Amino acid sequence: MPVLTLQRSYKYIMYATKQPSLRIKQADLKCKSGCGFYGNADWEGYCSQCYRNHMDVERQKKSHNSQMPDQSRAQMSGFTKFEEKKRQQTDKKNKYLKSLPVFRKSSNVKDSGRPEKYIDIMRQANPDANKLMVEFITQYSQYGDIVKKDFFKCSQAFSNKVINELEVKPIEDLAETAQNYYNLYQNRVNSNSIYEDVPSEIREKLVEFFEKYTMIILYSFLFCPPTTNDEEKDLAIQNRIRKLSWVNAHHLDCCISETSIEVRDLVYTAINDLLGMDSMKAPLEKLACVVKCCRSVVEVLQHCQGGPVSADEFLPALIFVVLKANPARLKSNILYVTRFCKDSRLMQGEAGYYFTNLCCAVSFIENLTAESLNNMPEQEFEAYMSGELTCVSAWESALVACEGMHQLCEHLAFLKELSERTQIVQNTTQSLRDDMQKLKEGICDSVESVLERTPLIIKPRINPLTLTKEQLFTQTTQYGPQIETTNEVNTCTDTDIGQNYYLQNLSLTQINALDSTKNKLQLDITPCITLPEISKALNSNDFLSSSSAVDNKSIESITPDDNSYLGLSKVNYDIDFSDLSTENSVAEDLTPEKRKSPTPSFVIGDPFSPIGGSCPIAQTPLVPSSVFPQIESKNDGFVLPFLDDTEENVEDSLLDKVEVAPSASLPAPLVPTSSEYSGFSKQGSRIPNIPCSTGDFSSLNFAGNSNM
Amino acid sequence: MSAGPYNYSYIFKYIIIGDMGVGKSCLLHQFTEKKFMADCPHTIGVEFGTRIIEVSGQKIKLQIWDTAGQERFRAVTRSYYRGAAGALMVYDITRRSTYNHLSSWLTDTRNLTNPSTVIFLIGNKCDLEGQRDVTYEEASKFAEENGLMFVEASAKTGDNVEEAFLETAKKIYQSIQDGRLDLNAAESGVQHKPSQPGRNPLSNDQQANKDNCAC
Ligand SMILES: Nc1nc2c(ncn2[C@@H]2O[C@H](COP(=O)(O)OP(=O)(O)OP(=O)(O)O)[C@@H](O)[C@H]2O)c(=O)[nH]1
Ligand SMILES: [Mg+2]
Repeated sequence: MPVLTLQRSYKYIMYATKQPSLRIKQADLKCKSGCGFYGNADWEGYCSQCYRNHMDVERQKKSHNSQMPDQSRAQMSGFTKFEEKKRQQTDKKNKYLKSLPVFRKSSNVKDSGRPEKYIDIMRQANPDANKLMVEFITQYSQYGDIVKKDFFKCSQAFSNKVINELEVKPIEDLAETAQNYYNLYQNRVNSNSIYEDVPSEIREKLVEFFEKYTMIILYSFLFCPPTTNDEEKDLAIQNRIRKLSWVNAHHLDCCISETSIEVRDLVYTAINDLLGMDSMKAPLEKLACVVKCCRSVVEVLQHCQGGPVSADEFLPALIFVVLKANPARLKSNILYVTRFCKDSRLMQGEAGYYFTNLCCAVSFIENLTAESLNNMPEQEFEAYMSGELTCVSAWESALVACEGMHQLCEHLAFLKELSERTQIVQNTTQSLRDDMQKLKEGICDSVESVLERTPLIIKPRINPLTLTKEQLFTQTTQYGPQIETTNEVNTCTDTDIGQNYYLQNLSLTQINALDSTKNKLQLDITPCITLPEISKALNSNDFLSSSSAVDNKSIESITPDDNSYLGLSKVNYDIDFSDLSTENSVAEDLTPEKRKSPTPSFVIGDPFSPIGGSCPIAQTPLVPSSVFPQIESKNDGFVLPFLDDTEENVEDSLLDKVEVAPSASLPAPLVPTSSEYSGFSKQGSRIPNIPCSTGDFSSLNFAGNSNM
Repeated sequence: MSAGPYNYSYIFKYIIIGDMGVGKSCLLHQFTEKKFMADCPHTIGVEFGTRIIEVSGQKIKLQIWDTAGQERFRAVTRSYYRGAAGALMVYDITRRSTYNHLSSWLTDTRNLTNPSTVIFLIGNKCDLEGQRDVTYEEASKFAEENGLMFVEASAKTGDNVEEAFLETAKKIYQSIQDGRLDLNAAESGVQHKPSQPGRNPLSNDQQANKDNCAC
């Protein structure tokens, strides 16, 4: 930033001139009393010091009038003619506001209780102040608790004072109070023994921090207070700037090239800096925003001119930026900073210079005429101002184009994101598919391994003809169902039909000796004929005890690999067979049926299957007509518990290996209906139904697949 | 009614948000000035407007912040969400893209305001029925799903403009009455003017808090 030499020789500042001009001399920024400090429109062109002196004189003049509102109004009327003129212009706009007494609050209507409430409000959560408090503690706690205590004591005293005076005194007096307190604290830091150990640069920081902290606490009371017409002024200038949106760089005789992209970006930076001012709370921070903005403006100019920037060029550029930014509550912000920022900061230095320039820019905007805009014809100016004439400025269209570009980029980014997400979905789908394949294979493997471990193979029937009765009994330990039938041979020999049947079975067995469950089933069914005789045996203790033995064993601990158990279960079988040959045979036969593919032909071949229902035609003739109905009824009574028992074994061997949910499709007949064998049927119903479906390998595989 | 030096008892802070050119500034202008601003320049940063309304016999001052729809100023406009008691979310019924962006506006609003903030959805430019691109049903379903109030309005004719602002105020006032909105919360967006003695039910609590204060 080029050094802007301050020329102290000029005595009169721009505020005295009637016509707002784009070209102001450095000295024009100075206090009109000629003291050398920067003046300010809100101080009537004086610097803060001279303004106060001036005000004191004014006050004395009007001392006969004790009414505060009149006084503040008198101050108001002290503003330049342009101020008044501008206000008249916007009066129409703000009619609705003017009609409200709100903005012209008279401060003499007062009760002493009111300030108390302000303190209450001050107590409400203030996250910014709390943040600062933490900041203070972390930064300055090393200088001792006493410094901290004193700091908060002073800031508390200051804020209480301001709050108590809030409604009693006009804002200008409060500003003075604030300045007094800043000075008081500064003196205290520099002279009081409390701050002895604090280095001088930290002392300065403390003074700054004091200003910042107290102002953040008091912000809501002192910024655009309802006792002033600051808000009205804000609305007025906002409206005015909106109306001046057609003004371009050329009108301002400013070298900013509106079409260059880089320049535009730089201007946007400056605009954003200025816009940030309203979001800040402490006057210090607001001032920092102004400085930042002005530095950006200088950068813009440097870019446009490719060389050093003269002070003459600066103001038009700043005006341009202010016009394009239309910062929110511009007047309130400027007034707040002038009132509550420490005087010395505004009266000198870079910040003072830039802030004074900003005030000039605002003043220019408020008062500009056709003449001030590069001698534009009056009619043209009026036409623009009334909205008759509109022009699409390069700036405006660039703004729209920018947004268009922005949307384009946004959409491109969105498309990119979409395609990325599609890719992710595809990848996940692939990995899911792989997982499913793996799961399927895993299930198949485990099913196979379980099958290998627990082979429920129905071994081919040994030709019963070659066996003696004793031999047959020993055989039962291994081949329950078959032996049953042979066992039956003995019990049924007296019946011709039975014998014929048996013989028929035998021949069949021999034919399909090796492996045919279907045939076996058919064969095994034959013993049913003897059912009536055996039914009595079912009641025997023998049977019950044996079945309970199986049950106990299974409850205790049975692993599928438990061979001893398997053996035991077979033994149990056999014991049962000896008494209930028919029943067992049916039971045993049902299992293979379930395990092998449930071909329809097979179902037909199994008359006692709960699914099969009626006896197949082929076998019906073999059953004595007198016995047949009985068989069917008895069948439900005790065959099924057995069936469950058989299934339990299957279940135990498979349960841990293959986690397949028990099929709910198990036919109802599995639950014993007979009340005769309550103990047994209880047990039967307690046993889960799982085995029936687990036994069915094909259905198992199928279920596994469908689950995936 | 006389309310001391201020003739309103509350200040409600509103924000108007939505895409560029949906008519936010026009809606505000229509509400505050009862005029349509045909050639409204694009808003840079934020602008504001005020109006005093009456809800249940209480005068309420609405302080309305009209934000820029342009993405470039999002950083600036975001700082105004904080402490808004009402948010008017505007889309243009003739431009579908402005409707599509609502969800992102809503996310911003939900993230940056407090839970008691009343959000009102406005489908603007309903005078341009012929160019309609977003159906009423669709938008009203969106509003319902997200718990927003909704009207279609026109800044040009003034249809429903008043209603949108007033309904929002009513809802906020209701929240205050129900105690759902804590006036003393840091960013409630509602200021109670201390002009009416006895209207500040929180004085006692405040007294208690005072002793707990660290400083
Ligand atoms: N027909 C019609 N046009 C409208 C209506 N409201 C706004 N417009 C027009 O839409 C354009 C944009 O309106 P603005 O109010 O500037 O839009 P905005 O939302 O403030 O835009 P930004 O400030 O850029 O975010 C203007 O040209 C208006 O004339 C409406 O209700 N009906
Ligand atoms: Mg706008």
